[in-house]
Amino acid sequence: MDNKSEGKRETGVLIKEKVDLNIPLETSQKELQVVGKSINRTDAVLKVTGKLAYGDDYPEEGFLIGKILRSPFPHAQIRSISVEKARNLPGVAAVLTAADLPGRNGFGAILPDQPVICGDKVRFIGDGVALVAAETEAIAQQALELIEVDYNLLPAVFDPREAMKEGAPLIHEKGNLLSFNKLRKGEVNEGFSQADIILERTYQVPFLEHAYLEPDIIMAVPKNDGTMLVEGPLQAPFTVRRNIAAVLGLPVNRIQVRQIPMGGGFGGKEDSPIDLGCRAAVLAWHTGRPVRLALEREEVTLQTCKRHPMIMETKIGAKKDGTLTAFQGVIYDEQGAYASLGPVIPPAGGSHIHSMIMMPGPYEIPHVKVDAYLCYTNHPYGGAMRGFGAPQVHIAHEQMMDELAGVLGINPVDIRRKNAFKLGSTTATGQILDQSVGLRETLEACARTFQWDKRFGEAGYVDQEKTKRRGVGVGMGWYRTSIGTSGDACGANVYVHEDGSVLLFTGITEMGQGSYTVLPQICAEELGIEAEDVRYVQPDTDRVPESGPTVGSRSTTLMGNAIIQAARQVKETLLETASELLLVPVSKLAMKNRKIFDQDRPEKSLTFREVAAKSMALGRRLIGQGWWAPPPATLDPETGQGNPYFIYTYSTHMAEVEVDMETGEVTIKDYVAAFDVGKAINPKAVEGQIEGGVAMGLGYALMEEVALVDGLIQNLSLRNYLIPTVLDVPHIQSIILEESNPYGPFGAKGIGEMPNIPATPAILNAIAHACGGRVRSLPADPENVYLAIQEAGGVPKV
Amino acid sequence: MEKMKIAFRLNGTKIEAEVAPETVLVDLLRDELGLKGTKVGCREGECGCCTVLLEGQPVNSCLLPALKVAGRSVTTIEGLTAENGKLQAIQQAFVDEGAVQCGFCTPGMIMNAKALLDQNPRPTEEEIKQALSGVLCRCTGYQKIVQAVKSAALATNTRP
Repeated sequence: MDNKSEGKRETGVLIKEKVDLNIPLETSQKELQVVGKSINRTDAVLKVTGKLAYGDDYPEEGFLIGKILRSPFPHAQIRSISVEKARNLPGVAAVLTAADLPGRNGFGAILPDQPVICGDKVRFIGDGVALVAAETEAIAQQALELIEVDYNLLPAVFDPREAMKEGAPLIHEKGNLLSFNKLRKGEVNEGFSQADIILERTYQVPFLEHAYLEPDIIMAVPKNDGTMLVEGPLQAPFTVRRNIAAVLGLPVNRIQVRQIPMGGGFGGKEDSPIDLGCRAAVLAWHTGRPVRLALEREEVTLQTCKRHPMIMETKIGAKKDGTLTAFQGVIYDEQGAYASLGPVIPPAGGSHIHSMIMMPGPYEIPHVKVDAYLCYTNHPYGGAMRGFGAPQVHIAHEQMMDELAGVLGINPVDIRRKNAFKLGSTTATGQILDQSVGLRETLEACARTFQWDKRFGEAGYVDQEKTKRRGVGVGMGWYRTSIGTSGDACGANVYVHEDGSVLLFTGITEMGQGSYTVLPQICAEELGIEAEDVRYVQPDTDRVPESGPTVGSRSTTLMGNAIIQAARQVKETLLETASELLLVPVSKLAMKNRKIFDQDRPEKSLTFREVAAKSMALGRRLIGQGWWAPPPATLDPETGQGNPYFIYTYSTHMAEVEVDMETGEVTIKDYVAAFDVGKAINPKAVEGQIEGGVAMGLGYALMEEVALVDGLIQNLSLRNYLIPTVLDVPHIQSIILEESNPYGPFGAKGIGEMPNIPATPAILNAIAHACGGRVRSLPADPENVYLAIQEAGGVPKV
Repeated sequence: MEKMKIAFRLNGTKIEAEVAPETVLVDLLRDELGLKGTKVGCREGECGCCTVLLEGQPVNSCLLPALKVAGRSVTTIEGLTAENGKLQAIQQAFVDEGAVQCGFCTPGMIMNAKALLDQNPRPTEEEIKQALSGVLCRCTGYQKIVQAVKSAALATNTRP
């Protein structure tokens, strides 16, 4: 590995040695049989027939129904809580308060700062103050109503800037500023002094709801042997297990967490199953009976994490020709009541530091300064949501680039051509991008297909009546393929059986993204068999190796490498056996199309099945275990300099919109999105990620906002929390480019989160191009677009 | 309140059930009759995951009182698959076009698409979108779902 910044790394020799053993994995892109094919999803038939059982479809017999009593106040002391009446209600098995907990009264993906049951005070509307388990839903509901809580209301704070001020109501004892992070590259004032123009703009984004269609559900089943089984749709089984162990005061090996089919996650089910899992487990532990804790839609919105809202102050300096000289940003990142996935896991994990790292955008800028504040408030809390802090800052830098281009009179595509990352570029953290940098290629491919130059000149009225104006917009982006922590490793087990069928064990969960299809494809390619020969075992912490969470667009790349390693161990056995049977040296053998054969004389061959059976009969090892960790992440806490993530996916989006100048209503007319994914293991699945991601980014741009008044969510249901319907989404043309990633399986990089990130600013830029008004505080709903038009001087004449 | 006995046709078979007046159809289907293919995403008729066909017309089964199906015909996602496991054209198209991701909206989408194709075997893209507009999908961006309905229409119309 040729890493120019090796000297900067503060990692020990041991880690370096280990990493050198692991990367890069040599995988050839030539003559692939299974990888690169758009095979159908392995779970599709079960899903189109209605046979796949999600959590709510599991039998309820024998389960107690769990319920949570939630705080109606955003900030209050609990003076007293009376549960006697509820406990005496027939059919109630348990009513628990903080006093009844067996272990740690706290959970959290990063810091255990959220009480399982609030003891002394509540910090947001929705905080849990008591837990109930009862024989039926109706009894559980009735029990909740019988619990009496005496609150002493405290002043609340709902703005991160207010929360930081001296004298602000204290939400947590250690203070409201959860994290302050700095990025310093060059000398930002020097950069601004070199600029011909300096522009300052502030952008603001609201809380966003994941709106996965399957409401959360968790089942906890206490076992006779003292273990606790917890099942549910969850993205991070190992994080859930870790938290439940601490909360029950049990060793980790006594908690078994099993993932079951998941109806969408988008980052939200990294966090919510920790919350529900701990609570269901406590009820099950206390009653000794299985407990089912299922949320209704309104409860999902009320209780679970959101995308962080942010206020982003940006200042940019450039030469007249558009060359960037300096970037300065301040992020006021609102965490809400609990830490969830916001705070830093050194060196570069957690959503907040990711926002800071990504804020200057995919551009070469010599002088950069970012100050990033993450603050508690008495709002619901921010967690992970598809892009993990990156969508917000892309909305800032991509609009800023367009505003700058507008002031300088430069085409928005040209200003990006001038500054975009290319191979060898240095990022704001000082990382040299020495591998797989296809950003400019995505820009050119997108511009060509979209016919940008022609359409950019065609802005203006589209109708005789002069009510609608057309415009086009571009958005660029980059996204990591990892989580930036030292613990970012994946394990995989591959078992080959005597009939040639294969079991694949990993901890990567399926939430719709397609891992249960793509990971078997990688395994099959390596073994020279078909993807259908590989059965992916549903993750179960008792059975699969630690794999980290299914987040950070890491699954295909990191787990893919672990699978290849595991498969190679089995391959060694199979080749040895085949060599003996065929009397051909191992070096001459190849594995393809379920056959093992002599490369020089392909007719000299055995089936994969025959060789597997013979190997089994000879008592040879047919089990492989792979382990892969990416190159270590680094980031200096004082300067924000280092190599936080080892590889990035790049993307450019272009949108055409029509804006109704009288109503402010926006229609997306056309859309092209280009991606450098390294290698598309399954192109149809990649397109699926792109199309779905763009739709989600569209919702962020035009309609989505968790509306809060005095800490209370106003739009708890899907009736008033609007997400895009089929009528809102335009035709999306996907362009997949492959700048091979030497660290990825067959060159692959992550794709799950990238597609929704540049979509939002591309649409916002198109709106500004069409109507002249710019919406700097989202969403760009008709009212805000109308106001932006008025602010920009009203309806243009031509 | 007292339960009432009703008879109706479910996926082609005549059945009888005892239902309370407040019971909605989706709960009868899922909890009493064990047909869990129909999903519940919101219980207020917004997400469309619970769509079933009543006399061939799509309805949100989370809003419809179960008593209303007395004497009528109900089709759920389970009713589409043949006994030998053979998929209908619309189901196969969802598989082949990649119209399925998490799968939670899939039954609702397919039931709406089936109702459309049964009544209008050659729908325009606009007609397809109108027919699917009552079902939310957070995963796919809808494009491959619309494509699947187009493909199914083509497959059905070109069948000898």
